[in-house]
Amino acid sequence: MLPPYEKVGKTEWYTGTANAIYQNLAYMESFNPEYVLILSGDHIYKMDYEVMLDYHKSHNADVSIAVMPVPEEEASRFGIIVADEKGRIKEFQEKPEHPKSNLASMGIYIFNWKSLREALIALSEQPNCDFGKHIIPYCFDQGQTLVAYEYNGYWKDVGTLGSYWEANMELIDIIPEFNLYEEFWKIYTTNDMIPPQYISAEAKITRSLIGDATEIYGEVTNSIIGSGVVVKKGAVVRDSIIMQNTVIGENAVLDRAIVAENVEIGEGTVIGIGEDVPNKVKPKVYSFGLAVIGENAVIPAGVRIGKNTAVTGETAPEDYPNGELASGETLDKAGVVG
Amino acid sequence: MRAVGIILAGGNSYRMRELSNKRAIAAMPIAGSYRSIDFALSSMSNSHIQKVAVLTQYNSRSLNEHLNSSKWWDFGRKQGGLFVFPPMQTPDNSFWYRGTADAICQNLNWLKDCHEPYVVIAGGDCVYKLDFNKVLEYHIAKKADVTVVCRELPEDEDATRFGIVKMNEDSRIEQFEEKPMAANSRTISCGIYVVRRRQLIELIEKSGQEARYDFVKDVLIRYKDVKRIYGYKINTYWSNIASVESYYKTNMDFLKPEVRDYFFRQYPDVYSKIDDLPPAKYNPGCEVKNSLVSSGSIINGYVENSIIFKDVFIGENCSVKNSIVLNGAYLGDNVHLENCIVESRDTIRPNSTYIGENEIKIVTETSERYTL
Repeated sequence: MLPPYEKVGKTEWYTGTANAIYQNLAYMESFNPEYVLILSGDHIYKMDYEVMLDYHKSHNADVSIAVMPVPEEEASRFGIIVADEKGRIKEFQEKPEHPKSNLASMGIYIFNWKSLREALIALSEQPNCDFGKHIIPYCFDQGQTLVAYEYNGYWKDVGTLGSYWEANMELIDIIPEFNLYEEFWKIYTTNDMIPPQYISAEAKITRSLIGDATEIYGEVTNSIIGSGVVVKKGAVVRDSIIMQNTVIGENAVLDRAIVAENVEIGEGTVIGIGEDVPNKVKPKVYSFGLAVIGENAVIPAGVRIGKNTAVTGETAPEDYPNGELASGETLDKAGVVG
Repeated sequence: MRAVGIILAGGNSYRMRELSNKRAIAAMPIAGSYRSIDFALSSMSNSHIQKVAVLTQYNSRSLNEHLNSSKWWDFGRKQGGLFVFPPMQTPDNSFWYRGTADAICQNLNWLKDCHEPYVVIAGGDCVYKLDFNKVLEYHIAKKADVTVVCRELPEDEDATRFGIVKMNEDSRIEQFEEKPMAANSRTISCGIYVVRRRQLIELIEKSGQEARYDFVKDVLIRYKDVKRIYGYKINTYWSNIASVESYYKTNMDFLKPEVRDYFFRQYPDVYSKIDDLPPAKYNPGCEVKNSLVSSGSIINGYVENSIIFKDVFIGENCSVKNSIVLNGAYLGDNVHLENCIVESRDTIRPNSTYIGENEIKIVTETSERYTL
């Protein structure tokens, strides 16, 4: 683990993805590797990097970029890569209006350390130095060999609430494209809860994933329930994601909600009702008709919360005029929405 | 804690029927996510015992797999830690463990090298939580030579498969009978003992020289009139799982809210080996009522009053009632189970029906999984 650290002379936070590596140059030098594999932590996929490295070596590449085909109409949302039939990259287009190819960069790179090192040093003064924006174009301009490695499996970026919600919902499918239950290629995690889940006689569960140490007394449909969650009697959870140790009170009703860890939802509270009005504070973040409840929040009994809303911190009945938080509103008691 | 722990986990019991064919009793899966030995190990860890030896023999591989790392119970440490001792051939010994006392006798050097003044001895086949510090305090206060943890057995349980004790008003054990034909008391030994380490070494060495190999018969019962053997009564949850009926009942006890609350929610926790499994999956058409389900399982059918262990697959139109389905079992479509225990990693063909009529039925069907 390499967080930013205070050093002699210039000390700063990591200002960009490549800058983060530049600040750990000495650490990298201590290994003096042949190749460096650069990945993001907010993507969901299974990939054998060894195959990609073999491809990198066999193409005598300086830089390999993993790409995947995306539908033509969605191509303008991605960084698009144009390559010839041998995989050699000819052009980059960042979120182009008229994409020349349907291959999108997945943010997975293999560099020859020599090339990366040289680029990092050359661009050390570049503000917010980023792999996609600065390092890759620099290598390209230097005439290095950049190749595209085509990947054809499931890949999902979960960098927005909408895609995060969608990716979770896709896991519920009977045989999901991204299958967590295969013997081969397991996904490992830290797991701090051991007890099994208890499903009571009055519970109703369908199309859902439920974690360890949960107790379900209510109704759960199309949802992901994290470990240690309690869904009390009469509560209804639909199309929602509930994270660790949250308690859903009796007769509460949740639709399209993302509820973070350690939240208490009061008795009879209704979340995710009303019209789909854009959020007033951050319409781009709080969208998709989702109601988002931040970690450690407390929602009092009997209130109603609309769509595209965000609630954080310990809220009380007086925070809800007429017992309601209308669609598009934000109630930020923890002061984190900004 | 001024004690080391010894867990006697080597035994077998015909009372487990087919369930002990492939595993040690201490490795029996319990309550969806645990193994029987977890309860003794966790109690020792939570009592801050820092050095524990597990003596294994019968079907020890199953147990070794579970004890693959000492970190699960917080015994991963430089000093002390978790030791697993199967029987070992040496220049002076080529026997298996001939009994519980012999098992300790064959590892006497380990015990002699310890510096802790006391020893806690427990079995691996009981479900409980116990603070051994309290037992040790009692042991010292009573100036006892051996303290035996005891408990009153409920009226409906058969006492004759336990050690039966009778205490005087000072709690000193005056009568002790092992698995008698007829029990004359409802107080039973829980198989948990506290004894001073040097005292234990002396007793075990003596027994070894006299070719006596059983800790209860040849040490506790034989010495009860010359040594101060005391009973420490507990009234918290305790259950021995070493018969199919009690194993079934103990698992079903976890469907009671007070038992779940005691083991799953109240301090201290019970630890177990952790597998990286995905959450349990409930597909359309499934119906689950009053049951425990563990991670990695996929459920398509009907489940009621049952314990579903890890990585279980239940096909469409199945019905599982009052049953225990052990780790990794695969139930094809239209399987009907009632009062059954399905052996782990079994593959049950579609359209099978198993019903336990007068006793719990143990289902062991190892059909080829991928040629169904």
